[in-house]
Amino acid sequence: MRIKRITAVVIRHLYIWPRSPERFMWTFGWPFFGLLIWGLTISFLQNNSSSNFSFITMIIGGIVFWEIIVQPQREISINFIDEMWNKNILNLFASPLTKAEYLTALVVIGIIKMFITVISLTIGSIVLYKFNIFASFGLHIPILFINLIIFSITLGLFVNSLILRFGISIQEIAWAIVAIVQPFACVLYPLSSLPVWVQRISIILPPTYVFEEMRRILFSNKIEINNLIFALLLNLLYLVLTIWFFSAMFEKAREHGRLVKLN
Amino acid sequence: MAVLEVKNLTKKFGKFTAVDNISFELKEGEILGLLGPNGAGKTTTIDILLGLTKPTTGEIKIFDLPFEENREKILKQMNFSAAYVNLPWRLKVWENLYTFGRLYEVEDYKEKIEILIKEFQLFDLRNKLTDSLSSGQLTRLYLCKAFVNNPRLLLLDEPTAFLDPDISDLVRKYILNKVKTEKTSVLFTSHNMAEVTEICDRVIFLNKGKIVAEDTPVGLTKRIKFCKVRLFFDLNLGKAELLLKNYKYNFSSVEKEILVDIEEEKVGQLLGRLSLAKLKYSQITIEKPTLEHFFLEVIRNKNEN
Repeated sequence: MRIKRITAVVIRHLYIWPRSPERFMWTFGWPFFGLLIWGLTISFLQNNSSSNFSFITMIIGGIVFWEIIVQPQREISINFIDEMWNKNILNLFASPLTKAEYLTALVVIGIIKMFITVISLTIGSIVLYKFNIFASFGLHIPILFINLIIFSITLGLFVNSLILRFGISIQEIAWAIVAIVQPFACVLYPLSSLPVWVQRISIILPPTYVFEEMRRILFSNKIEINNLIFALLLNLLYLVLTIWFFSAMFEKAREHGRLVKLN
Repeated sequence: MAVLEVKNLTKKFGKFTAVDNISFELKEGEILGLLGPNGAGKTTTIDILLGLTKPTTGEIKIFDLPFEENREKILKQMNFSAAYVNLPWRLKVWENLYTFGRLYEVEDYKEKIEILIKEFQLFDLRNKLTDSLSSGQLTRLYLCKAFVNNPRLLLLDEPTAFLDPDISDLVRKYILNKVKTEKTSVLFTSHNMAEVTEICDRVIFLNKGKIVAEDTPVGLTKRIKFCKVRLFFDLNLGKAELLLKNYKYNFSSVEKEILVDIEEEKVGQLLGRLSLAKLKYSQITIEKPTLEHFFLEVIRNKNEN
């Protein structure tokens, strides 16, 4: 792994960021609108409810944590597709850049953008709703974040593997995959509130455990660390399988001449 | 010393054979032309040499190293430019080149790129976005990228496709100078036969994935036996036509001009016959066969078969 080559890909994507309005919207605009609309709606319901239950922290926590999954996955997949839109993918893979270096670069960009989004949303939630996720979750933040980031990377690599296999025509999945996963991940509601058949799917998704523990911390200030360790092991298993899948799809694409057709 | 050695290379896509058991070498400081009609297997061969497509069978050695096992080491010393590959259009000219300078781990890439963009007359455009460049300017940018790492082996797939004649000339001179001064080896494809004749030391002609001819450009043109004799008659055009018809020459005529397709060695006989019949022409041009004629003959044979 050569740092210089990884940096080259990272900087190439950071160069275009300031001149891409749609990417600004992905990083700042849409997450902030989500925070605003959901926050205002929940504030209204909270103010008109006799319950002492703090919906606002649960929902805002869910929204901010969900962006930790959305941002890296989208960057990993869209930046890969962007090379195809630009007819640049062959330039990259005909250079000394390795698959591992390229994927590392995509992950680094995703994590940079994710932190920018999370920090801006945290500032927004402090200003608008007096809710600070860093203060609320304290030392539990690293294990919660790591689980979500690994899951996001796995989703991104999985989408890229599918594109290598089926081509650019399935690019819509790069945007859709998080929406497909979200209902099963218990982002805004507890696992127990779901029908049994949905719960069976939810328990094999690592984010479910993160969102469950997020709510446990918010409401009882306790944590079941074993659940998060289990989620981490599940995440690592999925990540390893997805890296193998990507590598296999890449080699198949080379074998069948699909890599050059992606350009 | 052979920089590139290809042995029994075959690429099959299902039942279709794109490259059929080809073998060739490229020596240090040599420019080798890869010619052939569309679908002949040129681009597939180049894709295989760049590691973008896996061969079905065969052996590739570059800089005396097996390609698959030494991909990174080899590609660091190679580069390419192709008409079907672009650069990110929302990056500025210098941003694109800096990216590839870093990717190829070029020492002092900033200085190197400044020299390159001056040589390719892009210095004034360095702060322009790539999507604002004309097709000729883009081609020059792609060539800058191709030379950014001072490659020992360069693969160029129609590098001058969208260039004005003067810039094409500049590019050809640049390539020839690189070959001369730095012993760069070049594998070159182009549909401009005059260009191939001018810069290639040797040409491989591919058809249906197979090598059908391999020679110098002049050697290939010598395989064409026919030439064209263009005769202008101020008087006696009709008599000249009658004579050609009687001797069953293949010819066509327009106004005062007759164009005869004839075997090169029979030109003397034709002129002798005209002289004997006292048919005086006011002007004569003998058009020797070119690489383009060879190309067309191979295509015609392909279609007839």
